[in-house]
Amino acid sequence: MSSGTARSAPVAPRTGLDLGRAARRHTWTFGVWVLLAALVVWYTTLIPAFGAFEISSIIRSGLPVAFLAVGQAIIILSGGIDLSLGAMMVLVTVVAGRFMENLGNATGLVIAVAIIIGAMLLDGLIGLVISVSKVPDIVVTLATSFILGGLALVVLPGPGGGIPDVIRFLFTGSAAGIGLNPWPSLIVFVIPLAAMWYVMRRTRTGLRLYAIGSSSERSFLAGLNVRRSKVLSYAFGGAMAALAGLATSAITGGGDPRFSIGNIATLNSVAAAVLGGIALTGGVGSIMGAAAAGFALSLLSPILTSLQVDPNNAQVIQGVLIVLVVMLGGYWQTRRRST
Amino acid sequence: MSIDVSSPTGAGTPRVVPPDEGPARSRLAAVMGDHPLAVLAAVLLALVILTGIVEPRFVSLNGLRNTLLLAAPLGIMAATQTVCMLTGGIDLSVAMSATAAAYVAGVLTPQGAPVAILGGLAVGLLVGLVNGLGVGVFKVNPLIMTLGMSAILVGLLTTFSQTILSGATRVAPFIATLGAGSFFGRTIPYNVVVWAVVALLVILALTRSGFGRTVYAIGDNPIASRLGGIRRWQVLIAVYMLAGLLAAIAGILLAGRSGSVDLQLAQNFLLPSVAAAVIGGTSIFGGYGGYGGTVFGALILGVLDSLLTFIDAGEAVRQVLYGSLVLGLAWLYARLTAAR
Repeated sequence: MSSGTARSAPVAPRTGLDLGRAARRHTWTFGVWVLLAALVVWYTTLIPAFGAFEISSIIRSGLPVAFLAVGQAIIILSGGIDLSLGAMMVLVTVVAGRFMENLGNATGLVIAVAIIIGAMLLDGLIGLVISVSKVPDIVVTLATSFILGGLALVVLPGPGGGIPDVIRFLFTGSAAGIGLNPWPSLIVFVIPLAAMWYVMRRTRTGLRLYAIGSSSERSFLAGLNVRRSKVLSYAFGGAMAALAGLATSAITGGGDPRFSIGNIATLNSVAAAVLGGIALTGGVGSIMGAAAAGFALSLLSPILTSLQVDPNNAQVIQGVLIVLVVMLGGYWQTRRRST
Repeated sequence: MSIDVSSPTGAGTPRVVPPDEGPARSRLAAVMGDHPLAVLAAVLLALVILTGIVEPRFVSLNGLRNTLLLAAPLGIMAATQTVCMLTGGIDLSVAMSATAAAYVAGVLTPQGAPVAILGGLAVGLLVGLVNGLGVGVFKVNPLIMTLGMSAILVGLLTTFSQTILSGATRVAPFIATLGAGSFFGRTIPYNVVVWAVVALLVILALTRSGFGRTVYAIGDNPIASRLGGIRRWQVLIAVYMLAGLLAAIAGILLAGRSGSVDLQLAQNFLLPSVAAAVIGGTSIFGGYGGYGGTVFGALILGVLDSLLTFIDAGEAVRQVLYGSLVLGLAWLYARLTAAR
């Protein structure tokens, strides 16, 4: 763990902040944001018209990946990994689609909050099972990905359901799920992100999560309640997966229980977390980097489409890019550590 | 480096029973902990009996044949996970490398079965070589490397299946026989023979060869193995090439079983292959486990699949039960081996 009290580069400056120093200490996070900005700028030059619709579209379609990447980042930072995060997202979309159909806006909001709390409890339970059973995270969450995927099929056997207008407006900026207004989706993303950033970087809770991620043995010896922190990290991840699920439902206007959607989402979340500078060994990285990497990943496919790349080749390019970035990043980090 | 400290199966773990578990652990539990394979055999037996009660016809040569027909490709794929996990890695590209091998074998079918099979195996080796270079030389995390490789293969195969691989719809009769046929009056499938040979070779390689020792060594303690003079990158390249080869064998068998090749050929085997290795007691952190357990894991999953088919479980129930069994067995295993 490099520094638990360190700050992230793109955040509002404190008095006497040396931006250059912050950039040096968080080169990776900083770099991911620069990469995201560069991709956005590049994208604007590629398409004929760039306006409110494109901005809102970028943010809207990036929300699920970005939320999931932040959730995965919190869990990986705390020394775990959740291969069922995508299945949790799918479960949330079907629960939302089935139980919010034909509901008023107020009831819909209440249910949305209930879903988020429910997902926190459920993922917290997964964390508890990991902690009690001492079975590796990757194995437990592999198993729970089947269980959650099965439950999703129980809730909704096929795509369908409905989402109240207010939820669609909150996550997409319009009751139709597609529109010109980027602000609601931006705000709905920034508030949880800022809250999680505050928890991770400015509170003892966050410091504990980083500590157990660095070494759960030493944290235990230092007197931390490792189990409580572990459960908490998964609960945070579950909340982010719930937000990702609500965002997905808001875009599509319903739920979809297909297993493959969850699988792809999980893989993207891990890839985004790693691209965002989160070390898979735990304890190193910032959720800000993961958030930017999530948006950058979701931006790749429209960019490649506007370059008139065959969508199948686009997948090859995406895979190569992920591997290359991680490869270069690992090389750069080992070099930096040795100097 | 926290690997040694946090790894529950680290070589340095002293042989002491934790005080809170000592008196509570019964003699039976201790015996079971010392013989994990016996536990797995008991679970398998219980599942077979349960399935037999549900559907008496299952306990017959035909039922056995159907279960083995399914378990063999899974068992071979799980071998890739076993060798990778022993080094502390994982191979999430197995399903796609198996599919790629099946495609190439299908395209080469007009050149005869031997060429087709060799071509398929070559694809597996090539994919494994790239994975091994990434993991061993460039030190990319195996999860990310094989994940990326899987995405790359999906894209390549989707493109190629419309162009140079478009003739891959049918497989050679020999491959079809190998994948789906059986002998001795339709009782023993040929793919089980392939599995038995593969299993024997993998077990011998892991337990009786210098290569096997280095695999366990780099998984158990990377630093000590480096100080001991093991060239980690060479071992990793060899391991991932072996994994690619095994995946290719499984892919060719699957192509033979279904008689044709498509992109979804091996997709449903990825997570079960990891599950089989995990159920079999191979540690995902490396250095502990073996292929013997994985064989039982694959058989357990095969019987479970038959059971779920017999009780006519829907996809939802099937997945929930599947996940619960994997979790339950892994938990049981962790408890039994905790004070090893």
